[in-house]
Amino acid sequence: MSSTANSASVYGGDEINAIVLDPGSYHTRIGYAGDDFPKVITSSYYASASNEPMEAEKEDSKIGSKSTKRIFGDAIDVPRSNYNVHPILKDSVIVDWDAALDQYHHFFKNVMNVTYEEQPVLITEPVWAEPKYRQTLVENFFEYYDFPALYLAKAPSCVSFQQGRPNCLVVDIGHDSVSVTPVIDGICMMKNTMRTHYAGQFLVDQVQDHLAKYKDLSVEGTYKIKSKTPTVYPENAEFTTRTLPEDITASYDEYQKSKIWHEFRETMLEVPERKLANNNMQQSATMKEFYTSDANTRLFEFPTGQSLSLNYDRFVFADSIFDPSIYKFANQELTSKYPPNNGVLSIKSKYDDYRPLKRVRKAESNQSTPPPGDSPTKPSKNGKHEVRGLSQLITHTLSTIDIDLRTSVAHNIIVTGGVSLVPQLTERLYNELTNTNPGLKIRLHAVGNSTERLNQAWIGGSVLASLGTFHQMWVSKHEYEEAGAERILNQRFR
Amino acid sequence: MSANDILDVLNIQRDESKQPAKKKQKTAVEIQRQSGMARELYNLIGPNTPPVNLPFVGANSSKASMKMKVSPWTKRAFKPNKLNKDSDEVTLHHWVKGSKELLEQEEADKPYFFEKFNVKIDFPELVNEETYDKYMVEIKEREKRLREEKKRREKEKKEQEAIEKSKREQEAKEKEKKEKEAKEAKESKEKESVSASGESQEIEESAIKLESETSNKESESKESKTDDNISKDKEGDSSKESNQVATEAKEREANEEEPEEEPEDWTYEETQYLFELTRDFELKWPLIYDRYNYPTKRDVEDLKEQFYRICIKTLEDQPNSNPSLIESLSAYSKPRELERKQYLENLLKRTPAEIAEEESLVIEARRFELAAKKMLIERSHLLTLLDSPQTTQSVQQYQSSQGLTNLYNNLMIIDKNQKKRQLQQQQKAIASGNQDPVPPPIPIAASSSFKKDRSFQTHLQQYLAGLLKQSQNVNPAIKQESNAIQQLLAKRLTQKEEEAYGLHFHGSEKLNPGVILRSTQKLPGLQQKQSVLKSVNSVLQELDIPTAGGTSWKPVMPTRKTMTKYDELIRSVVALLDLKKGKDKLEAEIRLIKSQRGLQ
Repeated sequence: MSSTANSASVYGGDEINAIVLDPGSYHTRIGYAGDDFPKVITSSYYASASNEPMEAEKEDSKIGSKSTKRIFGDAIDVPRSNYNVHPILKDSVIVDWDAALDQYHHFFKNVMNVTYEEQPVLITEPVWAEPKYRQTLVENFFEYYDFPALYLAKAPSCVSFQQGRPNCLVVDIGHDSVSVTPVIDGICMMKNTMRTHYAGQFLVDQVQDHLAKYKDLSVEGTYKIKSKTPTVYPENAEFTTRTLPEDITASYDEYQKSKIWHEFRETMLEVPERKLANNNMQQSATMKEFYTSDANTRLFEFPTGQSLSLNYDRFVFADSIFDPSIYKFANQELTSKYPPNNGVLSIKSKYDDYRPLKRVRKAESNQSTPPPGDSPTKPSKNGKHEVRGLSQLITHTLSTIDIDLRTSVAHNIIVTGGVSLVPQLTERLYNELTNTNPGLKIRLHAVGNSTERLNQAWIGGSVLASLGTFHQMWVSKHEYEEAGAERILNQRFR
Repeated sequence: MSANDILDVLNIQRDESKQPAKKKQKTAVEIQRQSGMARELYNLIGPNTPPVNLPFVGANSSKASMKMKVSPWTKRAFKPNKLNKDSDEVTLHHWVKGSKELLEQEEADKPYFFEKFNVKIDFPELVNEETYDKYMVEIKEREKRLREEKKRREKEKKEQEAIEKSKREQEAKEKEKKEKEAKEAKESKEKESVSASGESQEIEESAIKLESETSNKESESKESKTDDNISKDKEGDSSKESNQVATEAKEREANEEEPEEEPEDWTYEETQYLFELTRDFELKWPLIYDRYNYPTKRDVEDLKEQFYRICIKTLEDQPNSNPSLIESLSAYSKPRELERKQYLENLLKRTPAEIAEEESLVIEARRFELAAKKMLIERSHLLTLLDSPQTTQSVQQYQSSQGLTNLYNNLMIIDKNQKKRQLQQQQKAIASGNQDPVPPPIPIAASSSFKKDRSFQTHLQQYLAGLLKQSQNVNPAIKQESNAIQQLLAKRLTQKEEEAYGLHFHGSEKLNPGVILRSTQKLPGLQQKQSVLKSVNSVLQELDIPTAGGTSWKPVMPTRKTMTKYDELIRSVVALLDLKKGKDKLEAEIRLIKSQRGLQ
């Protein structure tokens, strides 16, 4: 006991080998609490044989049953015939429960060798997780695995723990969604949270939509290519294909292609210094000229060996995250995929059934200064939806926060998530925020280490779950059953 | 080989009693020896102990450490929530230093180390429903009372104002009436056809109209006032320039909020819910508000108000409550809180231009402060300078601003140039003695009125007179020759005669020995600072006064008369310049003080 006391006096930590699970829309991270990095970072997709009937799968999907042939991790990339690739999560929320539980079991047992009975698990969840979803999550975890206890931590809270800032505004620019969450004393403010879908996938779709006009561009998954000769775009691609098993599914091909686009987004995009769409024709012309210069030209080589050089377009793509309404998709399908979104979340509660409208109004009455033309009810009144880009979303969230907290929150804006790594994004964000909020002192905090920024929520969860004082917060299955789902979800997992 | 061995060989018996003790000593030594180097090697050293105590760390110590037991760590299950009985215990596992047995002994009933940090905020429990209802009734009554009182006060104020207003209007009305009457009388006089009855009717009508107008106005003012009062809390501050807009907004807001004036009542259930949340979120109001999902519409301020007033009531009913706590709780005022937030809001709403303006104003103000400080320091220096000479003369001359400036200038010059001190004092004497610069004492000395008395004769005259007498006695021949001049000199000449002869007596003037041409002579007024001379030069040029060129300002024809006039002129110019300088300085000072006092 004495040593724990000693170590506690310094770090306040007490290692209990807790597991931290951070499921994201694109990547899922699993690791031990107290580590500085997750042990497993894996794709949030899985592959399964398409010819197997789904009903049978469900019956068999107990832990350890080998009959379900789901493939996880890097093994998805191996081309197999008749294997479909499916996403497990959407918007950081698990949609395919069987696959999710199977995947976690796979990594818990086969990779990390977890002793379920001794190690509690901390799971991160988004702010917009609905009570029903949370209930399912907790119940599934208690049912499938024998964890002695678990805890649901909100991802923004974890980020605030990672940065050691109890009062902050977490701007998470992820794959599926951009979310802005004020965190006060380490607890998320639900009513002020905003979320849009103008995030990584949106950028990828922008890129794809735009590059559709390059007719001769051949984009093939890396798995198909045996050898290639480098060429530059107007020339056709020269490559030989590898012999592959038959019946490669379309979803697999799509998954492989999306990886290429993902890489394209990571390497090619750069945020322009200012808004590209400008009323001043001359200014926009000079900007276009500047961004078309050789210094801003980059080359991207597709797996087929064909390279595409882009300059101005690179900035246009990245600008779309700030001004989504200006950049319309040519493809009708994509347009319908992104309906106009002003980022207002409707979080359900048990009282919603009585007067849901009233409650929404109340949230508004709190924001003592609805900026003219910026109030969320306005578009709904007019039947017109407003689109909020990244900085507008943050500005709006700031304006809804209690005035006493606004200054401290504005001074602690944490930018996290993979898409925030797009070059110049934080600079642009800073400029726009200081311009739109002259009265506030804006300070952005973004971790310099790129891998840390990708896994910031996980690292925060790891910090949290290794604290000695945190261990009284774990909720056991017994307690969960006794106190009831609602009370535990609202009062313990806050 | 010890002594004992030899004794053994020689079969010499020693005293038995001594031996065991010795042996014991020996063994002790041997044990010690073992800890060192090899025994054979040690023997070579002989009985002498090595001079240096060599540490034999190497093999031996490592052997020792290998023999030592590894400090045990035990993986132990623990319950983090031992103290909290009602919470279901979770069993977790961590590694603890110490052997299993030891820990088992030790850890029989010890709470988890971190459990002590799990503290709860202590605040009064919500009372039961009956008491709650009682409290609410009391609170309502009190609030009603307060509101009524407030209303009454407002009403009184309003009535007073209304009375004043009506009075004023009455006066105005009467005036108008009188005017009208007068006018109408005039008209009636002019037009006799208008009947008297009609006239009176007209007057009556106008009076009624006016009355109704005033009553309208009164009611209007009342309305606007009530609106104002309601919205006063919300709209704490409104800048002056946007006053009109603000009042409009106020009215609108007031209209909107009128139904909210009577807020929905707090049911017992809702209060219970509030207390639960407050306990769960440990009085973190923003979070309590965030998670407050009750169908009624509430603000953070509403929540706080309800919680505090219930707490006050509960605490008041408790026998041993802290009065200062109750006091601090009742200090909370919802309208004031809202007002404060509104202020903050407005502060944040400033545009960048406004912020920049404010900043520049602050900088300017600081600059002013610095300048004022500098000025004060300069002034204090000046005062010390003025203090230093203890006047032997009368203070009268310094009481006029001019005299003061003169003195200041003189003192400055004295301070800077010790050599010129004498001259400056002389000048001062002249300047202060008479307002107008007095020409050099030539005319005084030369004036005929003085010459009558011998004591007023100049040195030269006396000298010449003496010489004449001498020569008369000594040499009659010379006497004859010089007679004409002598006679002339001896004769008391009138001023006109002196002028005609070009005769001039240097009175108290200092004269250089030898012959000097007047054209090379320097004007006494020219003994000034170079900077002063320059400004004098410019003044002379402005006035188109011809000079012989250069900075000597000799007249083209340097006769004695023109020379004195020039000297006079230059002195007066210098004095003028001094005066101007002093005046400028004083004016600047007056301006500064005025701006400091806020006068324009």
